Amino acid sequence: MQLRYVFSELGQGLRRNLSMHLAVILTLFVSLTLVGLGILLNQQATKAADHWGSQLQITVYLCTERDSNPACTGEVTEAQRTAVLQVVEDNPEVADHFLISKEEAFEKVKELYGAERFEGPYPAATAEDMPEAVRIELKDPEKYEGIVSAVKGLDGVSKVGDMRTVIAPIIGSINTMKWAALGTAIFLVVAALLLVANTIRLAAFARRKEIGIMRLVGASTLYIALPFLLEALVTALIGVVLATGALAGFMYFGIMERATDRLKFVPWIGFSEYGVAVAAVAVLGPLLTVLPTLVLTRKYLKV
Amino acid sequence: MIRFEKVTKTYPGHAHAALDQVSVDIEKGEFVFLVGSSGSGKSTFLRLVLREYRPTGGRVYVAGKEINRLASWKVPRLRRTIGTVFQDFRLLPNKTVTENVAFALQVIGRSRSEISSLVPETLELVGLDGKGDRMPDELSGGEQQRVAIARAFVNRPQILIADEPTGNLDPTTSVGIMKLLDRINRTGTTVVMATHDAGIVDQMRKRVIELEHGRVVRDQAQGVYGFQN
Repeated sequence: MQLRYVFSELGQGLRRNLSMHLAVILTLFVSLTLVGLGILLNQQATKAADHWGSQLQITVYLCTERDSNPACTGEVTEAQRTAVLQVVEDNPEVADHFLISKEEAFEKVKELYGAERFEGPYPAATAEDMPEAVRIELKDPEKYEGIVSAVKGLDGVSKVGDMRTVIAPIIGSINTMKWAALGTAIFLVVAALLLVANTIRLAAFARRKEIGIMRLVGASTLYIALPFLLEALVTALIGVVLATGALAGFMYFGIMERATDRLKFVPWIGFSEYGVAVAAVAVLGPLLTVLPTLVLTRKYLKV
Repeated sequence: MIRFEKVTKTYPGHAHAALDQVSVDIEKGEFVFLVGSSGSGKSTFLRLVLREYRPTGGRVYVAGKEINRLASWKVPRLRRTIGTVFQDFRLLPNKTVTENVAFALQVIGRSRSEISSLVPETLELVGLDGKGDRMPDELSGGEQQRVAIARAFVNRPQILIADEPTGNLDPTTSVGIMKLLDRINRTGTTVVMATHDAGIVDQMRKRVIELEHGRVVRDQAQGVYGFQN
């Protein structure tokens, strides 16, 4: 097929409708960035939730030698520990439980805050400072009051930690940002679709003479629609490139430079998550312009 | 080459049929005048040949294909066998004469070498050699219509449809255009021409099909335009 016409039309069409194309590119850029952001935040929330274990967990910390809870009379005794485990085992709300030793707790802390703080002659803490704990998984995350009150008053129990009170606000705010980004993106996607539709209408009108003659002499529908499709593709690609850049900026300045340094206890998203978001944006962008173009060229360029 | 079998065409929202039970058979290589007053159905007839519309009833055959059953995606291929000329020329104002004619070949995917041999040849045939670099607005009406005919004929179609091709031209220029259409007809191309121009029809002495209110009221082998009131 001779495509000289198609490419000269493509260049002409992009120049002729420059302001419309810019409008499409900018709306696409912003909406795709927000979609990408939504995807990144979604992955961030999942990653955080995965790391902290299922949110159903309740941790019962047992007394240590020097415990801040005055109810503790000293290190938890063998009999106290057995009693606590018995109560947990008998509770119908508990799905599973396991004991975390001082050493295991210490390993976890070293992992979170960096092992170098706990080495040398003056370590920040030793395994002995760590409380033993019983980790409890619930059958139903909504029903936790029973087990909490059953364990709370027992001898040898320092405190009952409900992970939800710590994690829920963090995951909650990530989710709020996610939905805000995606919600705004939906409006902008609609705006982008309408702009694409308008651009095609204008372009079809500007080219109506050529199109009329092409139909008359028997140019195929695809050939007539090709300049429109290529224009749609070019604007989409520019939008995708800009959005990819903006997301890279968010990853670098937002996550890697700031968050990763300051909030070490949260596992942050990295390059693989960025790749997923970029892939989604790269698919969505062309779809947003090419699909309406296909539909509308069928309407305006009917044989 | 073109056959209408009891063809009826009613436009949506119109009570009267634009064409009413029209049966016509046009052989390969014929030259046919389609005459009748405005609104008699001439344009509808031509548009059905081009498959711009499907008939409401009856069957239309063009170049051996039944138009009613032709899939939309095959329509472009059908139109490559038909050249079309209009009263208002329909040239692209920003392209030269050569580019206008070449455009018809480019957009159906003909190769550059074919285009560079066919276009000058056709411009010579229509009497425009040496004017290939002119823009349409530098040409007279008659010359512009020759460009349009060159564009319609450059792909060597089997059928040439002309809808009032002399409608905008003075009588002397019209004679030249008719001679050109006659020459194209002699190459074996079937020519169907809708016209109001009684002088031309009387002079050419070709087959005349007269339409009135969508019906064929006359089909005469070597006819004249008809009696004027």
